[in-house]
Amino acid sequence: MSIKKKRVFILAACAALCLGLFAQGSAAEKVVKLGWVGSLTGDQAIWGQCELNTVKMMAEELNAAGGLLGAKVEVVGYDHRGDAMECVNAVRRLTSQDKVVCIIGPNASGHAIPIASVLEEMKVPDIATVATNPKVTVVDGKVKPFNFRVCFIDPYQGAVAAGFAYDVLKFTKAAVLYDVADDYSQGLTEFFIKTFTEKGGKIVAKEAFKFGDTDFRPQLSKIKAANPEIIFMPYFFKEVALSSNQARELGIKATLMGGDGWPSEILIQMAKDAVHGSYVVNHLDFDDPEVQDFKTRYTAKYKRAVELNGFLAHDAFLMFVDAAERANSLNPVAIRDALESTDIKGITGNIRINPATHNPEGKEAAIIRIMDGNYVFQQKYAP
Amino acid sequence: MAQFLQQMINGLSIGSVYALMAVGYSLVYSIMSFSNFAHGGVIMLGSYFGFYLLTLAHWAFPAAFVGAALCSAGLAVIVERVAYRPLRLRNAPFLYFIISAMGASIFLENFVVATIGPTFRTYPTVLPRAPIEIGSVYIGRLDIMIFIISAVCLALLVYFLDRTKVGKAVQATAHNARAAKLMGINTDLVITLVFAIGGLLAGVAGVMFGMKYTVYPQMGGITIKSFIAAVFGGLGSLPGAVIGSLILGIMETLISGYFSSQFRDLISFTLLIAVLVFRPMGLMGKATEEKA
Repeated sequence: MSIKKKRVFILAACAALCLGLFAQGSAAEKVVKLGWVGSLTGDQAIWGQCELNTVKMMAEELNAAGGLLGAKVEVVGYDHRGDAMECVNAVRRLTSQDKVVCIIGPNASGHAIPIASVLEEMKVPDIATVATNPKVTVVDGKVKPFNFRVCFIDPYQGAVAAGFAYDVLKFTKAAVLYDVADDYSQGLTEFFIKTFTEKGGKIVAKEAFKFGDTDFRPQLSKIKAANPEIIFMPYFFKEVALSSNQARELGIKATLMGGDGWPSEILIQMAKDAVHGSYVVNHLDFDDPEVQDFKTRYTAKYKRAVELNGFLAHDAFLMFVDAAERANSLNPVAIRDALESTDIKGITGNIRINPATHNPEGKEAAIIRIMDGNYVFQQKYAP
Repeated sequence: MAQFLQQMINGLSIGSVYALMAVGYSLVYSIMSFSNFAHGGVIMLGSYFGFYLLTLAHWAFPAAFVGAALCSAGLAVIVERVAYRPLRLRNAPFLYFIISAMGASIFLENFVVATIGPTFRTYPTVLPRAPIEIGSVYIGRLDIMIFIISAVCLALLVYFLDRTKVGKAVQATAHNARAAKLMGINTDLVITLVFAIGGLLAGVAGVMFGMKYTVYPQMGGITIKSFIAAVFGGLGSLPGAVIGSLILGIMETLISGYFSSQFRDLISFTLLIAVLVFRPMGLMGKATEEKA
């Protein structure tokens, strides 16, 4: 056998083997594949593992109860190793090779944004878990047809904070300190100011700093002179700790408020007294009675605590099942169409997808208050 | 008026932190004529030394403070031995020193990320957080302490350089290293000494910074502002470094207090560039041969 012929033979053998594998797959009992993508290595692994565990547990529970439209749900999960390129590859593999009907994840916006072109090419819908950047589903005012998400978007937290401050706390004079170099902080600021002024409140000061700054007293002194009742601080815990300490050192007594960048043990370590009595807007609270059942089931199965991502992966799974059932089909495009009219009650709140943005709108956020170094759940709130 | 006074105090306190860091840059520049970018890394490690001496070794604060300064001095000398001396012995061009300095700075930062970890740490409370109220102006106790310690350190440094024999040797080396060597001054020893002093100041600055804010591997980045302040004041001139830092601190505060905090860096650094266009040697910089 010449080398050339040998190569052809090996190629043919491989092809036959592949075909055989495919044939075997389709001959088995009716199975529907659900994809998952996320991080199983690196510093986000703890979140990714929790999501995959959750999706697998939900699929097992569903299969035990008879499956989805008569088919068994099989979860195929890939690790994107925290790399946007790997994430795109994983989605391509899920859609072209594994033929999944829907994908859950990834959790980070930076990974959820670049996968859109593959989803649109392969016509498979995706439900992102904690990707909160607006661009995950809408770019330049146009909705991406196959991208959905189960969490609310960043700027929405600003609207929640403003509504809560004005309607519930009855504050009318607010100040904002924000990070001018950060999209997240700018988005929250914009929506806070919009909602707060629309409701009739007044923004008495709007001051900025730049990521990397450690001293906020010039801005805070100016805020102090404007005498606000509440200061909105939409940035991350390190700057929150520094700026809240400095605010108290300058004699500012106003209530402080922030978003999901706050919750952290380090904030308490660094600024326990300064943030006492402050309010935080978050996706959900671990002490909320509605999440307790899932928490118990998860902990019983995996012997470890649930991360925030797990709760959202739980609701993403519910969204997928609901869409397939309403479409009465396991066709990815039919599921996509049904996802657009999602209106279900999840454990993280009511999920009503707006077809124009593919975001759950009017979803309730959890309001948490920091009291003596503890995060105390107050109530759910939607503006 | 109260707000203006408060902003001036804010500015002075930010400026005095810059000043402690800027003096280290200026000192090394005056001897070696290059910008020692590893200084930021030494400040960062100084901050960690102080943190661990306080929390792990449970030293009393004054002891930990001196300990951190000495450790940083040692580190600065090691950096000089490893990163600069081989270049100096081979009369390498000036650019190589800067590249080597940047390398050392990146090394120190990543060394800390890899060994201690990227999360930031908080100093235990040494002074009560409650500020002193004078009328409607609030002054932090820590700020007063930093101001006093900075002033004492700088006064000691000036005394050392102007009044002692070794200080004169440092000045002579800064003036003209070759001539100093011919006069029998051990310039290698002088350079080591200058790095040790720069390291001491870095340790002091690191502990102060850590106490006032927090400790993290990237904190060396903040020193870029103090470097700019040193250039503004006139690189190589110690009073220039101090005055440049205080001016930068006050300018930043006043711009964010009375104009716009969004444009703070934009405006303050445009002003700095404008000053340098008219006085390229900086505010206090003299002709290049008169340094230190």
